[in-house]
Amino acid sequence: MNSTLADWPFNAVLVANRGEIAVRVLRTVQKLGLKGIVVYHAADRATLAVKMADQAIEITGATPVAAYLDAAQILAAAKTSGAGAIHPGYGFLSENAGFCAAVENAGLIFIGPKPAQITLMGDKVRARNFVEKGGFPVAPSAIEDDDPQTFNARARKVGTPLLIKPSAGGGGKGMRIVRDLAVLDEEILRARSEGQRYFGDGRLYVERYIENPRHIEVQVLGDSHGNVVHLFERECSVQRRFQKIVEETPSPALSAELRNRICETAAGIARSAGYRNAGTVEFIFGPSGEYYFLEMNTRLQVEHPVTEEITGKDLVHEQLRIAAGEPLGYTQAQVTAQGHAIEFRIYAEDASRGYTPTTGPILRLQAPQGEGVRWDSGVLQGGEVTAAFDPMIAKLIIRGRDRSEAIARADKALKDTILLGCKTNTAFLRRLIAHPAFVAGDVHTGFLDANPQIAAEPELSAETLRALLAAAALSTRTLRDGADAVLDLHAAIGAWTN
Amino acid sequence: MHHAFSFNGDDHLLTLSRTTTAYCLHLGDEVYAIDLRNHQDDTATLVIGEQSLEVVIATQGDEVFVHLDGEVYQLRYRHPLERLAASQAGNSEDAIRAPMPGSLVVVAVQAGDAVVRGQLLLVMESMKMETTINAPRDGVVHAITYEKGQTFDRDAMLISLLPLAIEK
Amino acid sequence: MKRIESRLNTASAEFLANAAHNRKLAEAFKEKQRAVRHDRPARDIERLRAQNKLLVRERLAQLCDPGTPFLELSSLAANEAYDGEVPGAAVVSGIGIVAGREVVINAGDASVKGGAWYPLGVKKTVRALDIAIENRLPVVHLCDSAGGFLPLQAELFADKYYAGRIFRNQCMLSKMGVQQVAVVLGHCTAGGAYVPGLSDYNIIVRGTGAIFLAGPPLVKAATGEENTVDELGGADMHTSVSGTADYPASSEQEAIAIARDIVAQFSRQPKTAIEWQTPEAPYYDGSELYGVLPRDIKQGFDMHEVIARMVDGSRFHEYQPAYGKTLICGYAHLWGYKIGILANNGVLFNDSALKGAHFIELCNQNKTPLVFLQNITGFMVGREYERRGITKDGAKMIMAVSNSEVPKFTVMCHGSFGAGNYGMSGRAFDSRFLFSWPQSQTSVMGAEQAANVLAEVKIRQLAKQGKSLSKADIDAIREPVLADFKRKQSAYWSTSEIWDDGILDPLDTRNALGIALSASLNAPIAEPRYGVFRM
Repeated sequence: MNSTLADWPFNAVLVANRGEIAVRVLRTVQKLGLKGIVVYHAADRATLAVKMADQAIEITGATPVAAYLDAAQILAAAKTSGAGAIHPGYGFLSENAGFCAAVENAGLIFIGPKPAQITLMGDKVRARNFVEKGGFPVAPSAIEDDDPQTFNARARKVGTPLLIKPSAGGGGKGMRIVRDLAVLDEEILRARSEGQRYFGDGRLYVERYIENPRHIEVQVLGDSHGNVVHLFERECSVQRRFQKIVEETPSPALSAELRNRICETAAGIARSAGYRNAGTVEFIFGPSGEYYFLEMNTRLQVEHPVTEEITGKDLVHEQLRIAAGEPLGYTQAQVTAQGHAIEFRIYAEDASRGYTPTTGPILRLQAPQGEGVRWDSGVLQGGEVTAAFDPMIAKLIIRGRDRSEAIARADKALKDTILLGCKTNTAFLRRLIAHPAFVAGDVHTGFLDANPQIAAEPELSAETLRALLAAAALSTRTLRDGADAVLDLHAAIGAWTN
Repeated sequence: MHHAFSFNGDDHLLTLSRTTTAYCLHLGDEVYAIDLRNHQDDTATLVIGEQSLEVVIATQGDEVFVHLDGEVYQLRYRHPLERLAASQAGNSEDAIRAPMPGSLVVVAVQAGDAVVRGQLLLVMESMKMETTINAPRDGVVHAITYEKGQTFDRDAMLISLLPLAIEK
Repeated sequence: MKRIESRLNTASAEFLANAAHNRKLAEAFKEKQRAVRHDRPARDIERLRAQNKLLVRERLAQLCDPGTPFLELSSLAANEAYDGEVPGAAVVSGIGIVAGREVVINAGDASVKGGAWYPLGVKKTVRALDIAIENRLPVVHLCDSAGGFLPLQAELFADKYYAGRIFRNQCMLSKMGVQQVAVVLGHCTAGGAYVPGLSDYNIIVRGTGAIFLAGPPLVKAATGEENTVDELGGADMHTSVSGTADYPASSEQEAIAIARDIVAQFSRQPKTAIEWQTPEAPYYDGSELYGVLPRDIKQGFDMHEVIARMVDGSRFHEYQPAYGKTLICGYAHLWGYKIGILANNGVLFNDSALKGAHFIELCNQNKTPLVFLQNITGFMVGREYERRGITKDGAKMIMAVSNSEVPKFTVMCHGSFGAGNYGMSGRAFDSRFLFSWPQSQTSVMGAEQAANVLAEVKIRQLAKQGKSLSKADIDAIREPVLADFKRKQSAYWSTSEIWDDGILDPLDTRNALGIALSASLNAPIAEPRYGVFRM
């Protein structure tokens, strides 16, 4: 089971993505003896994906992001390079039903779900309705599409706090919390503008916002033969700006019974949708153990490695097998997990300035090493972090026999992570995992907002400041040359006067 | 003190001298014997008096990045001529800089426009959030650096107002 | 080169008494120097602060490289003049290190009489510029002066070495290609305007700096024209309209930073190569010098003990150790530099004078700078010595000293009397630098001798008239002479009159000579040529 196909229906896979996920996909593709092809915008020329791909094809766009959203260029690249399949990674065109259909129409294999499944699950509103009808738990909400005229009034009825989301969105883009109904109308307008810009779709929906919830999601796999299994949950509660920064499995919040229930719910939803591909069913998990369906992501998730680390499954390999028409070949009972894994998103950002992104050259890069340490990254020393893309530059995945071992290993790995030229969040992540609440597993999605001291730059000791100034002075040509210009005699006599 | 490094928004004045065996860091009235010994693997040992610290240092232009005990610090060298000339510069409100890297999504004014305090000048987008930039005072727009859609780094000059003195 | 073996008993009562005495003298000197540098009426300091001005010592600290030496020159100039009210003659001069380069610094001290030029201030500045010329050292002028002190204009304006010499020296430096930068930190009026005007580069501080031949009041009186300071000679006018000044600066700090950047552009000529080896501290503790020097000016001491506490490793190659032993000659290294030393160990006889002249010629042949350590009561007098030609042998030594081309450095260690001062390269003989120790004395003869000579003359005059003097009458003649001599032969008088380049704590001599030696090597050493030696 789970073996490599002797004859893949494709012998070259084009990765329609960039950064660490392009590297991640290429790694499995190449390991399987298949040819790995990437498309890239000029801004990404100096990245690892371009370097390691068997073939790299430049694409262009009005902005770098636009290039990766340009289906026509990507399909043309696939044709030229002889790729038989396209892996969309996450983000960009990964949940674009039109692209999925276009790939299939071009006679290529889309490493993902069928277009209809994207249409169903990719749209939050439709997905929610579908899940609710299937008898699965959903939170109170109002959907603009149901009746745009009454949307604002219905949104009001959901009650505060509430969350406005773009229907077509994902990954936290364009979401807004409203605690005061007085600003509801204004916030709706703003969210619509953002949705329009990010997704070309200004439709919104509103749902009850659960205070201090946890974010727990379940990894599922479905093949084209109707088999669906789950690969357990991931807890992604530590977030900033609605984006995950630390993900782990198993969740410290779940009892065995609750784990089983939530995982089975997820598998049930996937099964009811006839889902094919790797997918993630996200839940919002309340303080008293209640959970509601949030959304389903019909693609590989950023945080998939933690699942791989505890289950031993290569999810990209599974995706390729499923896309090739292979049956899963194993049952739920055969899916087991061992140990604990935590993923840290290494962001180019300044936590102390409201997590604002930072940019800059990557002057030095030394990935951490050691037992249980995995470094998934697409950047190289000599490259550059620009404002053109998402500020995530790497993922550090740590495995341990248990959670406390994983945390201890993580602290050392974060300390050993060296990336100079662009501020990253590694020091912040160390402060985070040292926090007693995190150590106790007692976190929620508002944890960082409630504990702003974690993000704050710690007070620097006079000794550290002195060391920094010494290091900086000795590394600055003007200063060093100035000191060196002094003759030996005068240096030897020093600050003497008669 | 002739030289400075800005760090976390503060200028730290210092000078560097040498003896025949080491460099000396002058901080206020204090002097510390210091040295930096580079190793082959890009790491270095920083010596301050009796103390030795393992560091990794990279520089680009005037920026110095130091990895020390798991933290990365960024310092910016300020040449005395730049620092001392800048200390006398005009009203900081005249130059509006980007609070974070991003791109412009709305340019609501053009050079020469008279604006009133609080008036929308630009909308920038960063981190999937829109930030509006309003006029800090009544004035006249002098120049707008970027066009709609263009990206910029933090602290990039986005828009400048004519200095009040010139306006009058 | 063999180490000098000290014969000093550092546990002896004599040594300990000397040490205590000389240490006290050194402390008294340092205290005087401290007061001259820092004690100012509060209102003068407040006035400068109100003008946003730095004190001259603060300016120097900003100008010079950190962690480098500053050899201040004539710190106690004018200390015995003008009722002691013009400390340092309102000028600070010295050799400092700016951007690694040895420069002469000439700075007005506006906290003393507004930085007015007094006669001795002019002399001090001229001397500083002479040093720049002789040693080819770039100059940084920090200009902040109220102008010439008018009540004393007759003593500072017109003579050859008066104020005009400052500008003449600036022009000489320029001709020699030795660069100068002036920082205008206050008003440079009338003659003072030429200091920046004759500098290769100048910087002017906006608001406080101004350059004009006549200030607003004088212009109004002369032509009726009304001007503000800025209109007439401010930073913006001079840097954008007249071109009299080069760089405007918004603060003193910026102006000094610009000056440093300008000095950093000066090309560094290779220094004159002389013998050099890695420096080594003296084997004997320099602080023992205090115990070497006797308490009484008339008491002799072995100058080998001084040399041993000043030179590298206390090593000394003595030339003609058995001949003319009252003048020690020989080679040593000081801060690595090879030097030839001439040190008095008694009165100069014919053989010591010949030995000295010969040794000076040797040092000129092999390009070895000379250090003179003076403790001299003069050339030997008396029939026997005249018959042996003590005058012509002394003349040979003076001829050799005068025409010597290698840099000379003189330290007044103890006594310096009579023609011995000349033979040992006194002030008139163009030593590049001349320093005095606090207890040293310089005069044509000793005070007692002078008083006795004058009393004797008087007694003879009266005896011719058939009168005789009582003991009290004789004392009445001697005492004022003695007092006047004592005052004017002291190191404090010498240094006040700028007969030297400053008093040194004996312990500081090694560093001062090291800096002076290094500075002197910026000038080439010519081939020696002498006049006629009377044979």
